[in-house]
Amino acid sequence: MGYLNNQVITVDAILTKKGRELLAKNDGSFRITQFALADDEIDYTLYNPTHPSGSSFYGEAIDNMPLLEAFPIESQIMKYKLATLPRGTAKMPVLDLGYAAITLQQGASISITPQTLNYLGNSQTYETSGYSLTISDIRLLNTFNGLGINSTAATSANAEASNAVTTTLGTDVANTVIGTQFNLRGTTINTLFAPSNTSINGTLTFIGLDSGARLTIPITINYTT
Amino acid sequence: MSFKRLETDDFVIANDSITSTLWSDDVPSLTTFYSNSIQEASSAGTYYLSVYNTSSTDQQIQFDIAYCDKLGSGSALYNNAVPENSPTKTLYGQYRTLILEDENLDFIFGSAAASGIDACGNTITSSTAITSDNFWIINIERARYKQSIFPGSLNLSLSGSNGIISITDNSNDIVTIPYIGSTRAYQLVSGSNGSGIIANGGYTADSGSYGILFPDLGTILLNPLAISESIHLAPSRTNDSNGFNNRALFNSLNLGASFGLNSQETITSDYVFVRARNSEFNYSENPSFISGSTGEVIYSNFINAPQTYITTVGMYNDMNELVAVAKMSRPLLKDFTKEALVRVKLDF
Repeated sequence: MGYLNNQVITVDAILTKKGRELLAKNDGSFRITQFALADDEIDYTLYNPTHPSGSSFYGEAIDNMPLLEAFPIESQIMKYKLATLPRGTAKMPVLDLGYAAITLQQGASISITPQTLNYLGNSQTYETSGYSLTISDIRLLNTFNGLGINSTAATSANAEASNAVTTTLGTDVANTVIGTQFNLRGTTINTLFAPSNTSINGTLTFIGLDSGARLTIPITINYTT
Repeated sequence: MSFKRLETDDFVIANDSITSTLWSDDVPSLTTFYSNSIQEASSAGTYYLSVYNTSSTDQQIQFDIAYCDKLGSGSALYNNAVPENSPTKTLYGQYRTLILEDENLDFIFGSAAASGIDACGNTITSSTAITSDNFWIINIERARYKQSIFPGSLNLSLSGSNGIISITDNSNDIVTIPYIGSTRAYQLVSGSNGSGIIANGGYTADSGSYGILFPDLGTILLNPLAISESIHLAPSRTNDSNGFNNRALFNSLNLGASFGLNSQETITSDYVFVRARNSEFNYSENPSFISGSTGEVIYSNFINAPQTYITTVGMYNDMNELVAVAKMSRPLLKDFTKEALVRVKLDF
């Protein structure tokens, strides 16, 4: 008779940049209420379902790999969330934007309505909680907002973004909005293109808040003479 | 679904007392002491002498030495027109206010009581509890002692013309915590590791205790009368004259060559129990989990028997903002036959 393994895995957490900010605010916004799991760093192509030694060895190349320490920047961690889906799921939810990349002239606008494919038995659907959209550099846009979701989180994020496009003109910071439809308008500030840049670049990262599906596309704002 | 709400009983708050070595570089005992001539010659040098762990450029202050005198002796007057007002008198008033909390009280070395039995079981007489109007101060740098000094860890050697005396606090000899004013106070006695020598509890014959340790203030008071009786190290108490008393104690420490002390702090940890049930978190949005742009899982056996590897635990607030994150030391396999319980520790 052997002993059962009753070990509980204990891990030390660090606060993210956002966590430190909320803790410093001391307004109750630093309150952990939910969690998510992710498999950042895992390359499933290393998983070998034809391993000659059998199924116990399928994950041989992954099982004991060393992992990196946590990054405090939210955008650099929890990239690939684990999802709870019915057994037998053959297709994972993926986002469809209708764009592989976005290029705007200065002052030009675009509206993006993401959809999720293969989610909850639907070939194509809008997620109930909506989507988050993060732009890597808020200076690229004059207008950046999300519509269609009335949750506290969405209202707060959209208000913060609205404030950010006017108050962080000189600072290269990311910003996030929540909604089912997103409105973007290229910046009209010429100094960002100085002295001779014809375009400025960034990325847009969409995340389905229910499915965890994620898609990043490039955005380019062209200088208009 | 990617997020799972935590229940009330998933949170546990724990307070852990952590003790550690106090000095820089985690040395348990300082054996060499260095001063800085610039600091000593500065205006601050008329009040206290900073003591460093090394003479190199990365030296760090370990503690400060000061001499306090109720009569203002041992240092030059601020102004000759105002007798007795000098840095040593200012410092005496500073510590009297801080510790005794009453400007009419005096410092008593040996016991705060006037008579009876002291905490070591010794009968208090005029010789075991004396009132003093001067003392040396050793002020530990705040960053060194963190929250408080760990009682029982003090082992201090002082050298004088009559030899070396080893001093400790008497925290292990007593059963109730003594207070002076509103702060913990342990008498300094001859002995080691928090216990005085058995014969007389570590007190001097005629001059009370060797000083008082205030763990919560990071401060050690040294009684010149007791130290003088033991090793013949006495401060200069000439009026309106720099007695170099800070330097005298520094030299004594240097020759004693041993100053051991530990710090103590209480760390409040928030434990969050993260539970992934067998039916949860078995699929991944990892791009390598998917084949092509249509979202098909990469291996056919992943349709009914998916396997994922947990590497990261993210803690979110109601706004879906990632406020804390923890990484596993190695990937944790998850599938429909396994449940995972991860305890996440948050320190504040």
